[in-house]
Amino acid sequence: MTKDRSAQLIAEANAMKYSRRTVMKRASALGLSAPALAGVLGATGHVSAAPNRAPAFLQGGSLNMLMSTAFVPAAQDLFQEQATAWGEENSVDVTVDFINWPDLQPRTTSAVQAGAGPDIVELWDTIPYLFSESLVDLTDLAATTEEVQGGYYDWVTNTASVDGQWKSIPHGNSASVVAYRASYFEEAGIQDAANNFPETWEELFAVGKILKEEVGKPLGQALGQSLGDPPGFAYPYMWAFGSMEVEEDGETLAFDTDSFREGLEMFIQGWTDAFDETGLGWDDSTNNSAYLSDQISATQNGTSIYIAATDEDGENYQPEIAEDTFHAPLPAGPSGRFATLGSRSIGVMSYSENQEEALAFLEWWFSAEPFQTWLETYQGYILPPGPTFTDLGVFTEDPKLAPYIEVPSIARNKGWAGPANLKAAQVSSQYVIVNTFANAVQSGDAGAAIDEAAAHLQRIYGR
Amino acid sequence: MSIITTEQPGQPVVPHTRENFFVRLVRRESSLAWLFLAPALIILVVFMAYPFGYGIYISTTDAMVGFAGKNFVWLENYQRLLDDPIFRKTVRNTFIYGFGTVPFKLVLGLALALVLNQTFRFSRVFRAFLLLPWIVPTAISSLAFLMLYNGVLSPVSWVLVDWGIISDNINFLGDPVNAIVSLCVANIWRGVPFFGISILAGLQAVPDELNEAAALDGASVWQRFWAVTWPVIRNITLIATLFSIIWTFADFQLIYVLTKGGPANSTHVFGTYSYQTLGQTFIGDAAAISLYMFPILAVLAVMLLRYVRHDD
Repeated sequence: MTKDRSAQLIAEANAMKYSRRTVMKRASALGLSAPALAGVLGATGHVSAAPNRAPAFLQGGSLNMLMSTAFVPAAQDLFQEQATAWGEENSVDVTVDFINWPDLQPRTTSAVQAGAGPDIVELWDTIPYLFSESLVDLTDLAATTEEVQGGYYDWVTNTASVDGQWKSIPHGNSASVVAYRASYFEEAGIQDAANNFPETWEELFAVGKILKEEVGKPLGQALGQSLGDPPGFAYPYMWAFGSMEVEEDGETLAFDTDSFREGLEMFIQGWTDAFDETGLGWDDSTNNSAYLSDQISATQNGTSIYIAATDEDGENYQPEIAEDTFHAPLPAGPSGRFATLGSRSIGVMSYSENQEEALAFLEWWFSAEPFQTWLETYQGYILPPGPTFTDLGVFTEDPKLAPYIEVPSIARNKGWAGPANLKAAQVSSQYVIVNTFANAVQSGDAGAAIDEAAAHLQRIYGR
Repeated sequence: MSIITTEQPGQPVVPHTRENFFVRLVRRESSLAWLFLAPALIILVVFMAYPFGYGIYISTTDAMVGFAGKNFVWLENYQRLLDDPIFRKTVRNTFIYGFGTVPFKLVLGLALALVLNQTFRFSRVFRAFLLLPWIVPTAISSLAFLMLYNGVLSPVSWVLVDWGIISDNINFLGDPVNAIVSLCVANIWRGVPFFGISILAGLQAVPDELNEAAALDGASVWQRFWAVTWPVIRNITLIATLFSIIWTFADFQLIYVLTKGGPANSTHVFGTYSYQTLGQTFIGDAAAISLYMFPILAVLAVMLLRYVRHDD
């Protein structure tokens, strides 16, 4: 009900160009809560009225957060500033540790086992399942933050919630498409490459062969054990060739299919022909470095490459590369075109003695103003978990970033066609799907790689 | 100390002391020994024996971090690992990493020690520099190697490409064989100083007179090394070798920073695979992986202790 009234007010305010004061008066008349009002203010381009000062009982407390490093450095700096400012405002001693993405989960596991460590942790899409019994139930807070976001998208609910409960508050995630150099693709024979990226994987591998052999700029793809780009490629490719971990029932393995065997054999050949073969050892940052140092012609990535190339104040400012860079969705296979997308989220550890401080911080940070500021600083890298902020300029002003906004329409959760549950989280955290591809190109034997992964999946889903 | 005399009927007067408990404890040799041992024993029990015992217990359960309840599964975790292809690679890698690097570290360390045992200008400065790879925190030196081994931006590859020696960047960490070799090279670089400085300490104990006498008798350099120097440094060299194997077997930092066990789990050693499994919350399996290392390390430790005692 509140959601409907918020939506009504947002539409009304945008149509009538209400001032902030008028929005607040109308919100009062409609009986909207303070968090709902914050959401409306954010969605109508006004500064939020969210309270910055926490209750007096928090004062003198402390708060330690374990967050992932940001591929847009300004966003990391901003989060640190926001946390520090909130801490100073509320006399809470706040510290934030930013660590590499693959280190987040082991660090969280160690903290859970020790029963001590950070009060707040950032979690990758399906990971809340792994720590569901060690996280504070935030379902009530999630109801409030969902209003701010204008409701959560399905791709968020399907991945970050745990059996209908919210053990962490989702903040969206980066989407993956292919960033490519149009001039190199034109050298390889593609006409009007800015608007004409290969439609299928087969076509891409064919162009990639020319790019590698004749243009000297291969395709780049990370296949190391990392959370971002390797699964961002491996899952969609697997789905595009008619394979999945399990069927819709979440139990029946559907991984070993003839079409996937053929697709993986094609990939092995494509890897040798078209890709920079050092990609087996790349992590989430190596392809960014390779692209920005003009070593490769295309790579699947979030917006971070383009943002770095256009950032005049950044150390990777490359206006020529930025101008030549365009984006396209991942190519299609016989079963269609896919992407994988799940929301990252922030949770509070149940062992924490600072849960009040943690909840107060999250309630504030997920209110409209600080969240919008953080989202804008990310310059479109993070897709928000709901529709409220999708009209921000960072998502609409640069047409080159449009393919990223389209990703949710073709995205699936890890574990699809089954649910994103504990099993899917274990498969993901053991890099089973990613390593199928890495094993295949290492051994040159698609069948053996699929057999090994299928046995691994059986151990997890059959346990 | 108060001396009290008591008189018993028909007995001579015997002075005796009412010493407090602590004094009596200290005066008895056996109890004094236990007293001295106590702090070390407490530390050993709390920080070594208890975690070890708990590790054995947890390895026989299906416990998962963060989930209440666990079942006793006997040796199921150990048995399952035997069928795990990643674990088999882990065992192979640990042996390659543990034993394959030691001969290089030994030979290079010995050569380095022999050179630095000579007196030349700035020899003391060079001896100090020798220790650098050993004293720089492993995590930091590993990051330096991570840059050197970068698949795209490695300065090694770029220089060799620029000189026309190779045409493509070297796939240091992306190819399973290259990755293991790269890890071994980094380990050797880090481990050579330990051998060098240990052997150098042994060399300092070789009396100059013996060498001079052998030289006067017409012994060649090789004969002098083999007959005079080697017997003196043999013990320290063997002890350094055993220590190095034990440490390399249990290594974690260097491999975790450089490959995290990848690509495709092809460079795991016991430590990294156990850590990765723990990260997936399977603490029972993780403990079992670590404990597979125990018999190997125990044999090496026994060899080391026997040798040291035999030497005494």
